[in-house]
Amino acid sequence: MNKAYYITAAELSARGFDDLPDELVSTRHMIYSSPATLDFNSPGAKGFGVKRAGLVIPGSVMLLISPGCCGRNTALLNELGYNEKFFYLLLDDTDIVTGRYLSKIPQACEELCGELDYTPTAIMLCCTCVDALLGTDMERVCRSVTERTGVASVPAYMYALTREKRIPPMGLARKSIYSLLEPQKRISNECAIMGFFSALEDGCEIYPLLKSAGIRKIHEIGRCKTFEEYKEISRANFSLVLNSEARYAAQDMQERLGMPFIELTRLYRIDKIRNMYRLLGQAIGAELEDSGYYDEARAKIDSFIAKHGHLNIAVGECVDADPFELALALNEYGFNVREIYGTVGERNFVFIKKLAEVSPETRIYSNLSPTMMNYERDIPLDCAVGNDALYYHRDIPGVGFNDEAQPFGYRGVVLLMRELDRAISENRQIAEVGK
Amino acid sequence: MKKLLKHLSPLAPDDSGACSVLYELGGIVVICDAGGCAGNVCGFDEPRWHTKRSALFSAGLRDMDAILGRDDRLVEKLCKVCTQVEGEFAAIVGTPVPAVIATDYKALGRMTEKRAGLPCITIETDGTKLYDYGEELAYLKVFRQFAAEKYDVKKGRLGVLGATPLNTGLCRADRLKEKLTSDRWTEIVCFGLDSGLEDIKRASECEEILVISPSGLKTAELLKERFGTPYEVGFPGLYAPAEQAAESMNGKRVLVVHQQFAANELRSHFSGCQVDCATWFALDKRYAGEQDFRIDGEETFIEKIAGRGYDVIFGDPDFKRMLRGFGGEFVDFPHYAVSAAMNE
Repeated sequence: MNKAYYITAAELSARGFDDLPDELVSTRHMIYSSPATLDFNSPGAKGFGVKRAGLVIPGSVMLLISPGCCGRNTALLNELGYNEKFFYLLLDDTDIVTGRYLSKIPQACEELCGELDYTPTAIMLCCTCVDALLGTDMERVCRSVTERTGVASVPAYMYALTREKRIPPMGLARKSIYSLLEPQKRISNECAIMGFFSALEDGCEIYPLLKSAGIRKIHEIGRCKTFEEYKEISRANFSLVLNSEARYAAQDMQERLGMPFIELTRLYRIDKIRNMYRLLGQAIGAELEDSGYYDEARAKIDSFIAKHGHLNIAVGECVDADPFELALALNEYGFNVREIYGTVGERNFVFIKKLAEVSPETRIYSNLSPTMMNYERDIPLDCAVGNDALYYHRDIPGVGFNDEAQPFGYRGVVLLMRELDRAISENRQIAEVGK
Repeated sequence: MKKLLKHLSPLAPDDSGACSVLYELGGIVVICDAGGCAGNVCGFDEPRWHTKRSALFSAGLRDMDAILGRDDRLVEKLCKVCTQVEGEFAAIVGTPVPAVIATDYKALGRMTEKRAGLPCITIETDGTKLYDYGEELAYLKVFRQFAAEKYDVKKGRLGVLGATPLNTGLCRADRLKEKLTSDRWTEIVCFGLDSGLEDIKRASECEEILVISPSGLKTAELLKERFGTPYEVGFPGLYAPAEQAAESMNGKRVLVVHQQFAANELRSHFSGCQVDCATWFALDKRYAGEQDFRIDGEETFIEKIAGRGYDVIFGDPDFKRMLRGFGGEFVDFPHYAVSAAMNE
């Protein structure tokens, strides 16, 4: 049967974004839920899907309103301590046909509040494809819940059917989690960081850089321990959006709270990071002195190459990075990224064009293609980056680089080099012991 | 409220049950969903996903596919995948999305057969029912379609129906085979577990069928009717610590909670105890004790336990959260369809 489908960066660049091969367009083929990328089809199973994301509001609980199949894997989140926060209102076929369950949701919320020994700060109502198709007015249902329970209620749309829409489910989830913020007097030396559900890695240079620009308080939802801390986010004078999926939420906050936002991108090319900080400085009217961080990242890359050489690398998409931008960065540093497993979009096609110039033979695979069932490595690789790449190449060292604490900026580059160094060094030690 | 789960996560649904039966049969299985259902199956309910390769895909439906009823696109994608991976048949497994838009599965199956040139079975699950229902549908469809020819009966060959990870907590058939092998049964076939479509085609070679879950009963009846193959029910391969705990008990009032045939089997290991069985799944009255009952919700389960004064409960560890008010002893008897805990 067919081998796993791939196209080289040069070939793909030549075709252009408007002529993507079918195998790279998920709507044109069946979806393979590869064990490497389960979080595409089931983001609830790993990291932050709509269900877990909806619960980042401190003290909130969630009622999942769906057929049993939609909530089945939520049990995985129990291991992370979420078992007291999830409740389920199961739908049967008659519910779906008649929509009778909608009138039962307020009662269900009342019952779940009775079960808790505290009053939740919010009840997230998580609805699924069924409500997407029935066109349920969840805002109205939320109002009914609030009237009955006295607790704020917010919709969380887990609409897998709309994954490729302008505002995908994770974009809506981000809007929902900031929707309980109310207008208040903004404080000029405070800002908010948006984009991720967990906080940035503690050592990220963005904190001292913003402090050097006079910012005294940085709000991040992932660091809010209490509902009061969460409510303080709306005091921020502006927000920094580090993930484009949070743009819709930021626009909503701009409209409702009058909070402007600046969009940044997670990058691994240090020259581009330097450029990004320069532009950020201009936007906030301060000069951000980042040369120390730049030099540290540069030195880390150089020392890594001196120690390990110009490695052949496979880069996956289950990683805290855009795989194409990361691959481009690694190629520019002198590594050979031989394979990328990723989802090509309009936004990252620009990286593929550049990649075609520096590494035209880099192979681009789609994890979701059914042909990936037949994937077998047939080129030499030294290490893998990303959980999916690690799955395909279990016999070589690598890093998942897909943690809760979010890497960003120069710090991301330093962390990646550090983790890769550790993985490769450990692997060598094991190999030597084996001899 | 009966359908409100305050302590448990949802139990394995019907689409997972259907996929569990089809998983090792060498077909191209398409879950007719947007992606989330397939993720639940592959990432949670199917422990073999990480160890045994299977052509199991999501149809990747999008809102406009559903709203406009674009079945032709689904068939087109299915035909394409048939040229990319090997498959002896195609199977389409239902989820809530096709249920909402009332997909005509029969037509979908016919279109696929015509265009892909493969036999196609459709399993009309909708994600609202439990796994055993999906298993039952899948077993019936597969055996009806493929176990058509009558072969000579092989003496000592025993066929096992219901051997899925969801019923047994096992990914391989070794343990079941080891338990069942005897002077009488020298060749054991666990349909769909370490065995493919060929064994189903030759199901009539079995001297007898052992049904280890109620989900296999209707198919056993079909085989009896079609080939005259007799069947028995039972459950080899109990979770050993639970079996040992049962054997050591005396003079207790006990409740065993599992799928019916596993619960019944454990009951047979007690002596001097009054043992009732209960299940969240199908309860066939022919195999139930007088006091056995089906659980239809958390509240009724809690009430029943409070009302009957059990000393000991054998059940999945996930039930403990629901039974905080229970003062007796709780013994773990894991059920994969509840907590996804393996029986190892």
